[in-house]
Amino acid sequence: MIKLRTWLASTNGRIFGAFLIAAALHLAGTLMIPGYSSPFAIRAMLVIASLLAVASIGQTLVVILGGIDLSIPFIIGFANVVAAQLYGDGWNFIVVCLLVSLMALAIGAFNGFVSRRLDIHPLIVTLGVGMVVQGCVLLWTAGFPSGSAPAAVSAFVSIGGSAGPLPVPWLVPSLVVLATLIILIMARSPYGRRLYALGSNPGAAPLALIDPVRMWTITFALSAFFAAVAGVLLLGFTGSAYGDVGQPYLFQTIAAVVVGGAALVGGRGNYLGTIAGVLVLTEINTLLIGLGFQPAAVQAALGLIIVALVSLYGRERHVRSTI
Amino acid sequence: MNTIRLANIRRSLGFGALLLVVLLAVNLYLNPARFHPAAWGTLIGLAAPLIGAALASTPVILSGRGGIDISVGPLMGFVNAIIIQTLFLKGGVESPFVIVPVALLVGAGIGAINGFLTTIVRIQPIVATLGTYLVLTGITLTIVPAPIGPAPQWIKAFAGPLSIIPLAVIFLAWWLIRRLPYYDLLMAIGSDDRAAYTAGVDVTRVRFAAYVITGVFAGMAGLMLTALIGSADPNIGQTYTLISIAAVALGGVSLAGGRGGLIGAAIGAIDIFLLQSVLTAFNVSTYVLQVAYGAILVAAVVLTAVQERANRRERNA
Repeated sequence: MIKLRTWLASTNGRIFGAFLIAAALHLAGTLMIPGYSSPFAIRAMLVIASLLAVASIGQTLVVILGGIDLSIPFIIGFANVVAAQLYGDGWNFIVVCLLVSLMALAIGAFNGFVSRRLDIHPLIVTLGVGMVVQGCVLLWTAGFPSGSAPAAVSAFVSIGGSAGPLPVPWLVPSLVVLATLIILIMARSPYGRRLYALGSNPGAAPLALIDPVRMWTITFALSAFFAAVAGVLLLGFTGSAYGDVGQPYLFQTIAAVVVGGAALVGGRGNYLGTIAGVLVLTEINTLLIGLGFQPAAVQAALGLIIVALVSLYGRERHVRSTI
Repeated sequence: MNTIRLANIRRSLGFGALLLVVLLAVNLYLNPARFHPAAWGTLIGLAAPLIGAALASTPVILSGRGGIDISVGPLMGFVNAIIIQTLFLKGGVESPFVIVPVALLVGAGIGAINGFLTTIVRIQPIVATLGTYLVLTGITLTIVPAPIGPAPQWIKAFAGPLSIIPLAVIFLAWWLIRRLPYYDLLMAIGSDDRAAYTAGVDVTRVRFAAYVITGVFAGMAGLMLTALIGSADPNIGQTYTLISIAAVALGGVSLAGGRGGLIGAAIGAIDIFLLQSVLTAFNVSTYVLQVAYGAILVAAVVLTAVQERANRRERNA
């Protein structure tokens, strides 16, 4: 019993718990709502979950580092609108993607560099930078973004699409490959080891010749990059540009990371956990909407469930055990 | 002694206070009528909810270890909905002697829930208060699906000539708290909770109380919001969430805890309000407003950090 409790408190236990809850939610949905497990419903859930999973990559890395990134929704909106606008102006889409990625990397690098170098809480820096980015996009488009996604991107994320023999769009298998890569990089590469080292002990890591400023710059740049990827994918998903498309992702990425067992104080968690968190959130959302709740009630229930889940296995240590 | 104290005050207020002076001067030049003493009541009433939200956010941030309450904005909206819809329109209660205590009690109750979740269940504050954020927003939308009015006559007066009173009450309460040993304990756990714990401070209880104080202040801010809009609106409360945290940071309150105070938070909030005012006077679009917001926020925290570094070097030299 005690062994079980210690294991549940470990990162692996938390992740296992999150996957178990996602499965239980899915079972409950299948029993309560007819058609919940129909191929179309599952495909839709997988696509929605994949989009959230892409947006949450950066948040996972940043949280393990001991930071937080509030600029993700703004970068998503930025990439969404800029990509549509430039493509609509007749630019080559590959060039557009490169340009958007470079800009996102630069914005993210600024976030990380300023936060670490000057020791300012990343919450404020990313929020301020996010507001500037969103304001600039609104100014540029005068609030009415135009343009659309190329057919290839739409097909890549379309719920009705298929990837060769698989009945899901290419987005889903691509995400599986990407996730595997990220999990491997985080667990095996020097970058991953430095990430965990700096997150668990920011004071000791520099003594092991880890450059904190460099790590923060790289990690926040990656976070912004993946947010931009999510923005372009969302452009394909919704078909037209919308500056506020990223707003729901502000709290959802944080919730996914935390439900997946990462600690916001840093050093703990991994991307597999985030994926479990993403599945839990998607299941809850679909289940509540399927049960006929109003959006307001869905939101309230989501809040309750996040708190209940995290109190189940995401509790912090007492001060007395940190001494 | 006095010069050291002055230097301390200057350091803790930092860039926010300087910005306040500049913005005030620019505002006075651009729009003397709006800033005429006769209009001060209305002016303060306009700024009050933001100032209130910033003041309310401060105690938990001071308590350290990632302490933050992102449910302050939604709590203001929730109080607004309860006062207008449940008490006034449905219950027919108009007396301030019922409405004000109810608002403060609702605030204290939600604050206690946040405190329970963060200190006893020990969920990370941003996640716990995100939970309350979502729940409160959802309930508010269920109580008041669309904006509805009116508000009792007396409460509207607090957006005009009497607008300074609720803010003064918060400051008076804080002034009293500062006279208590509690304040020192709060700042101690905010700077280093482990050291405070080993010195015998009941960290859990002090931190819990900080959440309750934040809740009560947020209840008060909800009253100010109700006074300003004179109706119930389910969509306004949450807009104060991030901007109030920005105001707190602008006012030199350290998000790591243990440094800063309510005056700084108020200055940060007034900065943001005056900035809005200047940009509106220039008749620029809301998009420019947003860019300026963000840019000044980042610039302000960067300059504060640079100044702090310089101060530290000065002291070490």
